[in-house]
Amino acid sequence: MHWAFVVALGFAVGILVGVMGIGGGIIVVPALVHISGMDQHLAQGTSLFILLPPVGLGALSVYWKKGEVDLRSGIVCAFGMLAGGYLGGRIAVDMNSSRLGSAFGLFLMFSAILLWRRSNPPASTGGVRA
Amino acid sequence: MPKSNPIAVFATACVVGVASGLFGVGGGVLLVPLLVLLHHYSQHRAQGTSLVALVPPTGLLAFITYYRAHEVDVRTGLLIIPGVLIGGILGGRLAVRLSAGLLRRVFACILFVLGTWEFLSPLVHSTAHAAR
Repeated sequence: MHWAFVVALGFAVGILVGVMGIGGGIIVVPALVHISGMDQHLAQGTSLFILLPPVGLGALSVYWKKGEVDLRSGIVCAFGMLAGGYLGGRIAVDMNSSRLGSAFGLFLMFSAILLWRRSNPPASTGGVRA
Repeated sequence: MPKSNPIAVFATACVVGVASGLFGVGGGVLLVPLLVLLHHYSQHRAQGTSLVALVPPTGLLAFITYYRAHEVDVRTGLLIIPGVLIGGILGGRLAVRLSAGLLRRVFACILFVLGTWEFLSPLVHSTAHAAR
């Protein structure tokens, strides 16, 4: 894979990070598997490596200025995710790569359904902000 | 904005963490909808809070596990990082101006198609092998 393409991929992922408030691994993993032909495990490990530095910091500063951040809950979540991440990583490295790929697909579908659902109560969504 | 219960939020985050380590993702994609659906955050606030959770290296323990199994491509990773950081600022500026509802749905559609593809491709692949 050409280095310029990889840099461009990172930039595209970054826009998604800011718009959706996510880490971006969900796009990095399939892109590395299908475009650069990486094995599922290698793509996932590389994605976790990308997420080690605070790549969402730039996006966070924008949300922070608008007062759209619950700092306390964010910190609580970080600890929970650290602990859970260890367990998930242990499970994944022992799994068969193609089975892990299928499970990743199910995870994406499940996340998609959760994202699609209208938040409750509707009055508190950011929909009218624009 | 009702005060969220930190214990419930912590429990949610633990579940998100397992998915994060299992699938090599940050976990925000699961954390954002769960904060909205279970803890009644607004879409923008859930996204801002998710970004806080992603500032410390929450995937560190999962990363070490993959690294020991030699499942990390450091060079490709280093090339991707700067773009994500810069793109993130642009995306964040875009998000606070836009209706999050529409964006969320467009993204959900893309994810669903991608997920279906990911789910089916190993099956299709193995069937093709078996047929040979």
